[in-house]
Amino acid sequence: MDFEWPDQPEQIDEFEKELKQAMERRPAPPSLKRRVMQQRSTRRTERHHTSMMWWQRLAASLLVGAVIAGGFGWRQIEDRRKGEEAKQQVLTALRVTNQVLKNMNRKLAEHDRAESSK
Amino acid sequence: MAQKWQPDFEQLVDEHQSMVFSLAWRMTGDRGLAEEVAQDVFLQLDGNMNRIENPEHALNWLRRVTVNRSADALRRRRVRGVDLWVEIEEKHGAPAEEMQTPLGTRLEHLLSTLPEAQRAVLVLRYQEDMTPEEIAGVVDAPLATVKSNLHRGLKLLRAKATTHLKEYIRGL
Repeated sequence: MDFEWPDQPEQIDEFEKELKQAMERRPAPPSLKRRVMQQRSTRRTERHHTSMMWWQRLAASLLVGAVIAGGFGWRQIEDRRKGEEAKQQVLTALRVTNQVLKNMNRKLAEHDRAESSK
Repeated sequence: MAQKWQPDFEQLVDEHQSMVFSLAWRMTGDRGLAEEVAQDVFLQLDGNMNRIENPEHALNWLRRVTVNRSADALRRRRVRGVDLWVEIEEKHGAPAEEMQTPLGTRLEHLLSTLPEAQRAVLVLRYQEDMTPEEIAGVVDAPLATVKSNLHRGLKLLRAKATTHLKEYIRGL
């Protein structure tokens, strides 16, 4: 349903004129602007604090992450170092054993030679 | 290239606080609630300053957000079960009404008894002097709906005025 709506001032009747007069804008309370500006400044400060807090949290998280990663890395290096050390010890033990066996072999060979010359 | 409009928040508050407050008061019928709504509207504007393109946009943005915020405030009140119109006279009635004619005050009171959609379009029409096309843009409704609400609202208000304000409208 479409209604014809008067847009021309002369078509507005007395009742509407009275209504228009009754609906003039009212002055805002003087405290409104002050409260708006105050709240705005409070919110900005809060927002600033909140963003600062997020940055601090992010920095703390990164630090904790770096410490954990560093600890993990250090442990891997340490494990590798210990493995390397154990390997060297085994190699030394094998070299010693090898030397002992060689000596024993040499002695046996000398013993065999002495037996055969008798 | 045209320079981008740089809105100044404080200036916008100065320019539009009367419009926002009056719109909120007539929509809610409660001075205290209207102050709260106006405050929220301006704080919302502060968060949206980078989206405001020009003074006209700012004015229409404020009108739209005020109407929506007022409707939300009324809805919240209704949920809480507060009888608004009993409170109006008792708590927040007086100071500004002193400036008005008795008929004006009574018309305003009758306006507050209209359904929300009709009240919104009548306030925009008679307080803000907007055309139905402009109102349709603000309340985000089809033009036919706005015209229908204007027609019905005015008819209902006239009927209420005839019943309640006989002594005043005899001459109209």
